[in-house]
Amino acid sequence: MKSQSMVRKMFFMMFAMMFVALPIFAQGTGGSIPEKLYSPLAAGIGMGLASGLCALGQGKAVAGAAEGMARNPAATGAIRFALILGLVLIESLALYTFAIIFVKV
Amino acid sequence: MVTREAFLTRLFNSQFAGPGNSILGMFGLRADDPQHPWADFIVMQLVVALIMVLLFLLLRSRLSVTKPGALQHVFELIHGFVGETADDQVGHEGRKHVVLFETLFIFILISNLLGIVPQFMSPTQAVYVPCGMAILAFLYYNYIGFKRQGAWKYTKQFFGPIPVMAPLMLPIEIISHLARPLSLTIRLFANMYAGEQVTLVFLSLTYFAVPAVFMGLHVFVSLLQAYIFMLMTMMYIGGAVSEEH
Repeated sequence: MKSQSMVRKMFFMMFAMMFVALPIFAQGTGGSIPEKLYSPLAAGIGMGLASGLCALGQGKAVAGAAEGMARNPAATGAIRFALILGLVLIESLALYTFAIIFVKV
Repeated sequence: MVTREAFLTRLFNSQFAGPGNSILGMFGLRADDPQHPWADFIVMQLVVALIMVLLFLLLRSRLSVTKPGALQHVFELIHGFVGETADDQVGHEGRKHVVLFETLFIFILISNLLGIVPQFMSPTQAVYVPCGMAILAFLYYNYIGFKRQGAWKYTKQFFGPIPVMAPLMLPIEIISHLARPLSLTIRLFANMYAGEQVTLVFLSLTYFAVPAVFMGLHVFVSLLQAYIFMLMTMMYIGGAVSEEH
């Protein structure tokens, strides 16, 4: 039983190493790193950061709006208007990141 | 960007390549590929224009005071909604500019929704189309500001309320005004492009049901973005005509 799990672990480690090793082997012997090599990585990290922080901001905005609507249902229309406007403005910040990725990658 | 042309674009390129090139030639331009002068987004814009003309011809022929049809009800609803929003945002003269707002709204809405139809694509997915509309909105609200307040009073707005702060305020105001068409462009373009890409990514994973969910989301986003574009234009015009300070 124990040896079986050990074999499994070794197997997974080997695969993991192969995944890491593939790009290294693919790079060839040239010393210079191609310019576009890391841009997908940067795009992923950048977009992840942007959408995560955008989600935090939008969550805060929606929480505030829901609280406001619960406290004062008569003001629902005005609050919804401000909410949509705010959400769109926050969202466009994440979309700027997307646009930069679109242009640069 | 788009490697495969839509069906209609192929048709245009095979039938009307000559006229397309001569139209470009009138402006001293030359297509990258003389065999394919028609880009997808231009053909799709023509389709949207055609849809709008046909829709309103149909609407015009069926207008009736005593017995309004379903189409008339829908457009009365849209017109009332746009007018009310204009009143809220621009003020008492909002109804004067309702032509621009409603044209933008309906054009963007049909453009966005056209992307859902197979073999068509949204013109707003190409960055040039939102950019053109944003520049139109930018020129329009500046023109309205100049016309309404006069050159001196409108320019004075850029210097801020306190004379001492003017050297600081002027660059800030100019940059924030120039950022408006940029943000309008990127918001519409990126939303449409991202919506399409998300659907495509899920289509490449599975054909079962999941992509349809994202297409549904895309419909919602299309409506919202058309509304937002109209709303931001209204707010800019409202800022240009308001007499503060």
